[in-house]
Amino acid sequence: MSVLSVRFWGVRGSHASPLSTHLGVGGNTSCVEIRAGNTLVVCDGGTGLIPLGENLLKQDELRELLVLFTHYHWDHICGLPFFVPAFLPKWNLKFFGPGQTAAEIERHLSNQMKAPYFPVETETWMANIQYLEPSPAGLTYGPMQIRYQSVHHPGVTYGYRVSVGGKSVVYVSDNEVDYLHSSIAQRAGEFSAEDQSAMADIAQEERAADLDFIRGADVLIHDAQYTPDDYILKRGWGHSCYIDTVNFAIDAGVKVLYLFHHDPAHDDARIAEIHRHSLQIISERRSSLECTIAREGMVVTL
Amino acid sequence: MANLPVEVIAFASAADAMSLLATRQPALLFLDIIMPEKDGLTFLQELRASALHQDTVIVILSSKDYAQDRQTAASHGVAAFLPKPVSSEALRQAVMNFAQLPADGTA
Repeated sequence: MSVLSVRFWGVRGSHASPLSTHLGVGGNTSCVEIRAGNTLVVCDGGTGLIPLGENLLKQDELRELLVLFTHYHWDHICGLPFFVPAFLPKWNLKFFGPGQTAAEIERHLSNQMKAPYFPVETETWMANIQYLEPSPAGLTYGPMQIRYQSVHHPGVTYGYRVSVGGKSVVYVSDNEVDYLHSSIAQRAGEFSAEDQSAMADIAQEERAADLDFIRGADVLIHDAQYTPDDYILKRGWGHSCYIDTVNFAIDAGVKVLYLFHHDPAHDDARIAEIHRHSLQIISERRSSLECTIAREGMVVTL
Repeated sequence: MANLPVEVIAFASAADAMSLLATRQPALLFLDIIMPEKDGLTFLQELRASALHQDTVIVILSSKDYAQDRQTAASHGVAAFLPKPVSSEALRQAVMNFAQLPADGTA
C-alpha cells in the first residue's frame, strides 16, 4: 500500500497575507495536496496552487491530478489562472466541485478567466481538462475513495473525505460549526419549553450528522478562522471559532486536527496563542486529540 | 402539524424525495439546505426544472441563513425562507399561509 501524505501549500482564509509577521504560518490561500504513491489529489486552488504547479514542473513521473474545489470563492480558485500545468500539453487535469453538472463546474471555474478580469481564457489551456459529473455516492480516483458533503458556508460548499487503505483525511476549509446551537441560545426567550426541547433535538441531530462525516478521521483539516472576539463580530459569515472546531474534533474522535483557513489579520504570535488555548481545551477535556497549526510547507505522512 | 388537516411525509434522502416527487405535487414542500447526498439549493433547481414542479409551493427551512442562499432560493421562487430555529407556531402559520389545501381541507 502506498504511503498517504498531506502537504500544505496554502493555509490562509479570505485573502493572501504575504507579511513578514505572518510567514511563520504562511501567507498563501487554501491549497492542500493529498498523495498516495503517484495518485495526487489537490484540495482547492487558492494562491498555494501556484507554487504547487511550479513544483510539479520539476518532476516527470506524474502528469495527472484531480483538484477538488470546496466552492468558488476567490481565495479557493484564484491560483488556478496561474497554475502552469494547465497551460502545458501532456498534462491530464480533472476538476470537481459544487454544481449540478460538469458543465456548471466548468462555467464556475472559467468565469474568472474572462475579460476584463484576466488576459487569457481557459481556451488557452493545452492540458487535457476533464470536469467530473456530480456523483452523490462519491468519487473513486486511483486508490482513493472520496466522499463529499454540504457544509455550513454561504452558497453551496463541500467538505471532502478522502480514504485510502483504511486511512482517512477530511478537508473542511470553510464551515461554521454549531451555528444552529448558537442561534437557539440567542433566541431561547422567544420559544416555549416544548419548542425548545424539540429544537435541542433537531440541533443534536444535525450535529450528529456533521460529526459522522468527520468521525474517526486520521487527519482533519478544518476552518478555525476566528477567535471568540472575532466571532462576536462575524457570526454568520460562514467560519468557525477555533474553540468550536476543537470541541467538534474531540467529539468526533478525530486523531489529529490541523487548524486551518487562518484569518489574514492574525499574525504568527496570535495563531500561536490560538494553538496554546486549543491544547488547553483538549487537556481540560482529557481528550487524546492531537492538534497542530496547519503551516505552509508542512508535510504529514500517515 | 398534529392539529392541521394535512398528511406529512418526511424523507431521509434526496433520492427518496425525488422518487415520490417525480409523480406527485405536494400542497407544500419544506426543504432544508444541508442534506445528505445533495444540498437543498441544487435539489431546488432540479425540482424547478421539472414541469410538474414549476409552481410547487416550497418553503426553505434551514439552519443556514446567508444572504446569498436566500437570493438563490428567491430566484427559484420559494414562498418563504425560514431560518432555524422555527417555533411550532411559525411552522403552523407557514402551512396555513402557503399550503394549497384542497376544498375538502385535506392534503
